[in-house]
Amino acid sequence: MNLVGKPIPRKEGRKKVTGQALYVDDLSFPGMLHGVTVRSSVPRGRIKNISFDQPPATAGGSDRNIPWNEFTIVTAKDIRDLKLGENYVALILNDQPYLADEVVNHPEEAIVLLAHPDKYLLEEARRHVSIEYEELPAIFSLHDSLAQKEIIWGDDNVFKKFLVDKGNVDDVWAKADFIVEGEYETGAQEQLYIENNGAIALANPNDGVTVWGSMQCPYYVHKALIKLFGLPEEKIRVIQTETGGGFGGKEEYPSMIAGHAALLAWKSGLPVKMIYDRAEDMVATTKRHPSRTLHKTAVNKDGKLLAMEIDFVIDGGAYCTLSPVVLSRGTIHAAGPYFCPDVRIKSTAVATNLPPHGAFRGFGAPQSIFALERHLDKVAKTVGLTPEEFRRRNFIHEGETTATNQTIREKVDMDGLLNRAFELSDYHAKRERFARENGSDRPSRIRKGIGFASFMHGAGFTGSGEVYLQSVVGAEATPEGLIRILAASTEIGQGTNTIFAQIAADALGLGYDLFEVAQPDTAQVPNSGPTVASRTCMIVGKLVESAVVGLKQTLLGSGLLKDQYTQAEFQRACGDYIEKFGRLQSFSKYQPPPNILWDDEKYQGDAYGAFAWAVYVAEVSVDLLTYEAHVDDFVAVQEVGRVINPVLAAGQIEGGIAQAIGMTLYENVVWENGRMKNGQMTNYIMPTAADIPPIRVYFEENPYAYGPDGAKGIGELPMDGPAPAILNAIENATGESFNQIPLMPEKMMEDLVGQG
Amino acid sequence: MMRLPKFDYRTPRTIAEAVKIIGDVGPDAQFVAGGTDLYPNMKRRQQTPGTVISVMRLSELNKIDGDGKSGLTIGASVLLSDICDHTIIKRDYPVIASAARTISTPLLRNMGTIGGNLLLDTRCNYYDQNYEWRKAINFCLKKDGDVCWVAPGSSKCWAVQSSDLVPVMVAIGAKFRLISTLGERMIDAAGFYNDDGIDYLKKRPDELLADIHLPPTDGWRASYQKLRRRGAFDFPVLGVAAWIRCGTGSGSDRVADAKIVLGAIAPSPLDVSEAARELIGQPFDAEHIHAAAEACYVKARPLDNTDFVMNWRKQMAREYTLRALQELL
Ligand SMILES: Cc1cc2nc3c(=O)[nH]c(=O)nc-3n(C[C@H](O)[C@H](O)[C@H](O)COP(=O)(O)OP(=O)(O)OC[C@H]3O[C@@H](n4cnc5c(N)ncnc54)[C@H](O)[C@@H]3O)c2cc1C
Repeated sequence: MNLVGKPIPRKEGRKKVTGQALYVDDLSFPGMLHGVTVRSSVPRGRIKNISFDQPPATAGGSDRNIPWNEFTIVTAKDIRDLKLGENYVALILNDQPYLADEVVNHPEEAIVLLAHPDKYLLEEARRHVSIEYEELPAIFSLHDSLAQKEIIWGDDNVFKKFLVDKGNVDDVWAKADFIVEGEYETGAQEQLYIENNGAIALANPNDGVTVWGSMQCPYYVHKALIKLFGLPEEKIRVIQTETGGGFGGKEEYPSMIAGHAALLAWKSGLPVKMIYDRAEDMVATTKRHPSRTLHKTAVNKDGKLLAMEIDFVIDGGAYCTLSPVVLSRGTIHAAGPYFCPDVRIKSTAVATNLPPHGAFRGFGAPQSIFALERHLDKVAKTVGLTPEEFRRRNFIHEGETTATNQTIREKVDMDGLLNRAFELSDYHAKRERFARENGSDRPSRIRKGIGFASFMHGAGFTGSGEVYLQSVVGAEATPEGLIRILAASTEIGQGTNTIFAQIAADALGLGYDLFEVAQPDTAQVPNSGPTVASRTCMIVGKLVESAVVGLKQTLLGSGLLKDQYTQAEFQRACGDYIEKFGRLQSFSKYQPPPNILWDDEKYQGDAYGAFAWAVYVAEVSVDLLTYEAHVDDFVAVQEVGRVINPVLAAGQIEGGIAQAIGMTLYENVVWENGRMKNGQMTNYIMPTAADIPPIRVYFEENPYAYGPDGAKGIGELPMDGPAPAILNAIENATGESFNQIPLMPEKMMEDLVGQG
Repeated sequence: MMRLPKFDYRTPRTIAEAVKIIGDVGPDAQFVAGGTDLYPNMKRRQQTPGTVISVMRLSELNKIDGDGKSGLTIGASVLLSDICDHTIIKRDYPVIASAARTISTPLLRNMGTIGGNLLLDTRCNYYDQNYEWRKAINFCLKKDGDVCWVAPGSSKCWAVQSSDLVPVMVAIGAKFRLISTLGERMIDAAGFYNDDGIDYLKKRPDELLADIHLPPTDGWRASYQKLRRRGAFDFPVLGVAAWIRCGTGSGSDRVADAKIVLGAIAPSPLDVSEAARELIGQPFDAEHIHAAAEACYVKARPLDNTDFVMNWRKQMAREYTLRALQELL
C-alpha cells in the first residue's frame, strides 16, 4: 500500500475547511455561564482589599447597575472554603497559584473569577472590581534578576541551574591560538496561534470535573486538576476539542484556564465557558523566554575548536512553569552539531516580575543556537577562515561526542547538507557578487547579503524523560473492521491524525480510510504523553505502529487471520474475533532504544535518541537609509529521517521558518512595568505573506532505526536556524555584527549610526 | 472577550433624517460608516455612544461625480476598495488611489469608507488599549483619566492623526462638505484638523460629512509615501504627502507652488511650509528636493506613542520626503 512518504490529505482537513470542526467556543451546554478573570494591575504587591463596586450614578452609555448577587465569584479563599485541593498549578515546582492569595508577582496575575449567564453584563462587572495593593519593588529583566537587584523568588531568584562539563576547559585557554568571546540576546515572542485559549468545565462533588478545551496536553491538565480539586484521577476528565494551533502556548497554560473554569463551575453548579480574547491571550499567557548567552571559545590556528565555555541564562518570568525543561533543552543544544573536546555549559533560569514565560516551539534551543551560530561566524573571522570552512573543520561525525558526551551513532553528514544548501542557494556566487556590489565605488543604498546556520535538534523528551513518561498508545478494532487509534497526542494543526493513520495503515498493509484517531479524552485514551518536543511522530508514531501490529498478532494468534490477507479478510477477522472473544484491543508502551544512557545528575550521556540535522541559508537586503532588513530568499535543507508526509512536513518547515523570521526581524514584545504594551495584532507585528520570502524546503532522508518507518522529529527544528542565518546574512551585507534579536530598524540605525 | 456595549442602531435613508436623529439624540449619538474604526474603539470602551447612526444607506453619500477637469466629488460613504479601483480616480487622481491602497488590508478596505478614514480617531499607545489595560495605568487624558502618559505634565493630548488620506487631502487642497440641522458648510481640509488629540476635528459632533471635493487637476502632481513595519495591515507611523505645481510659459522649469504635509507624527497633519519654501521659485531638482527633505526632518517631532522609536521616525521624515518628491521628478 505504501502510504508513508505520500502527500495524503489531512484526516480532519475537510471538516476544518467546511466549518464542521468543533472548537471549544462552538460548544454550548444548557444553563451555561460565561467566566472572566480579573487580573492584577501591579507587577508586584500585596493585595489589601477587593471590592465589588457600582458604576457612578453619572455614568452614561451602557453602564447599568451590577447585580452582584447574581454573579458567581471565586477568589483564592474559595479554594480553602470549598475544601478543594491545592491552590497551585501542578507542574514542576508548583509555585504558581491558580488565584493570587495575598501577593501578586506579575501584572496579569489572576485574582478574582466571575461568572454570569450574560456575557455582556459580565464584561461590565469585570470593570467594576477594584483591587487595592501595597506595591512592592519589582524587576523586569534577567540582568536585574541575576544581579539580585531585588529578591523576588526564593533566596536568589533562581528557578534552576545546570552544569554540563566535558573535559576541562580551564586547562585549554593557555594553549589556544585564539580565544574569542561574545554576548548574544534574544527577546520574548508570542505564539499567536489562531484560536485563543479557551475551556468549558462541568464540575460538582458527584460527577467530579470534566473539561473541554483547546490544548496540547490533556494529561497535563488532568494532573493539574487532580491537585486543584483533591479528587482521584478517575473523577477528572479532560477532553481536547479541535485546536487552532499551539506552538507550545497550549502546553501549560490550559491547566490554568481549565482550572479557572472548573472552579467557577464547581461553585455555581453550572457549566462555565471561558474564552480569552486576543488582547487577554497576548498579555496574560506564556511567551518565549528571553535569553542572554555568553560565549568564550578557544581555537587553534587550523580552525579546530579546542574549548567552548557557554553561560546561558533565560528569563522565566514570575513563576517557574516549564523553565527548567526549557533551560535544559537550550543548554544541551548550546554547543551545536560540532565536535569539541572540552565544553562547559552553565545555565540558569531566573525569575522576574513578567508574566511567566513558557513553552514555545524550539523550547530554549532557538535561543542558544542563535548565540552559537552568530558566535561561530565571529570565531571564523578571527581565525581567518570562511564561516563554512570553519564549520566544516568542526562538524560532528558518527562516533564523535556531543557536549554531553553522547556518542553519535547515526550517519551524520553535515558536510553533505552544507554542500546541498550552498548549491541550491547559489551561495558562493552570490557571496562573491554581493561583496563586489557592496564594495563598489558607488554602492547602492540597498546592500545584499547571504548567510547560513548549521544546527541540530533533538527529538523527544530530553535524557530519561521518555522513560519517565512511560507513554502508552492503544488500538481498537470495531466489528466492522475499522481501527481506532487511542492516544492523548493532539492534532493541533500539525498533522498528528494524518501521519498516525498513514503509519498504522502501512504497518498492517491496509487502506488509510480504515483508520481513525480517537478524540483525545482522558476517560477514553491512554496517556501517550504530551504533544511537545517534536516527539509525536518519532516516539508516539512508533507506539502507534506497534499497537496496530499488536492487533494483527492477536488475530493471527487466534487463528482467525492468516499471514497473507486482503483488507476484506482482515476486516472480517476483526468482526469474528469480537463476536467470539469480545473487545479487540492492543496497547503498546514506550521502550527506550537499546544503549540509551543518561545521567540526570551530571547532565551527561545520551540526551536524545535521535537528532534532526540542518543547514539553512538566508539571503537578505538591507536598506541603509531606512535600516530595514528583508529576507529575499530562504533555502532550508534538513535530514529528518524518513519523511512520512511530504506536504505536511514541508508545511511544518515553512511555517516554522516564517515564525522564526518574525522572531528575528518583526516581533518585538514591548514591556512597560512588566505589562505587555503592544498586545494587539495591530502593534505586535507578526510578518504577513507580504513579508515572507519564497521558502525552499529540501529533505535528505536517512531512516532512523527506532522511528516509525524511519522518521525522526521535525516540528521544532525550523525555529532554530533562521535567526542566526539572517543575522549572519545581515553582517555579510552591512559589515556590522548584530547580536540581538529582534533586530528592529531602529536598533540597526542606532548601531550603524553609532559607529560613526 | 471584548464585546460591544449595547447601543441603539439607526439606519436613516436621507441626509435630513440622519442629521435630525443626531440633533435629537445629542452628544450620546455618533455616526458610523464602515465601523472599522468605531466598533473596535467601542469594544475597548474608548468611545461609548448609546446611539449609533449608520450613514451607509444615504444614497447621496455613495456616489462619485466629475473628473480631473471639473474637479471630483466623492461621497463620504464610498468604500476604500471602490476608491482604489475607480477608473477616473486612478486616471486623474492617482495619488488618492495609491494612498488608499496602502490602508490596512483588502478586507478592511471592503468595509472602510473614505469619510470614516478622514474622520479617524487619533491613536496612541496608551489609548488604543482595552479597558483593563487602561484602567491599570489609571487611564489617560484622552479618555477617563487626567494624565498624558506620553508627555506627563502636558495639558494637551498627543494622540496621533493616523489616516493615510488626510495628509494627501490637505496637500492637494480638498474641501469637505458638512451638513447638520443648522445647514451646510464647506471647509478646507487644511483648516479641518486641530493640533489636539482629543478635539482633533473642526467638525461639531452633530455634523455629517457629506462629501469630499477634489480640485481640478490643472497642472499639479502629488504623491504619498507611507512608513510602516509590514507590507500590509499597519497604520502609518509616518506619512508624507507631496504636492507641486510647476510654472507655465517661461517659468515652466521652476516650481510655482508646493506643499509637503506630514501625517502620523502629531495630532494633526503637519504642513511644513519651510519645505515648500525650499522648492517654490526654484528648479525642481535633486538639490532643492534635498533641502526640502532636510526642512521636514527639522520640523518633524514625533513623540514616543506609536510603533517605532521616535528618533527613527524623525530620521525617516527626511528619507520619506525625498522619496515622495523624487516620485514627482
Ligand atoms: C487592523 C486595522 C488596520 C487599519 N489600518 C489603517 C491604515 O493603514 N490607514 C488608515 O488610514 N486607516 C487604517 N485603519 C482605520 C480604518 O479602517 C480606516 O481608516 C477606515 O477608512 C475607517 O472608515 P470606516 O468607514 O470604517 O469608519 P468608521 O469606523 O465607520 O468611522 C470612523 C469615524 O468617523 C465617523 N464617521 C464616519 N462617517 C461619517 C460621516 N459621514 N459623517 C460624520 N462622521 C462620520 C464615525 O463616527 C467615527 O468617529 C485600520 C483599521 C484597522 C482595524
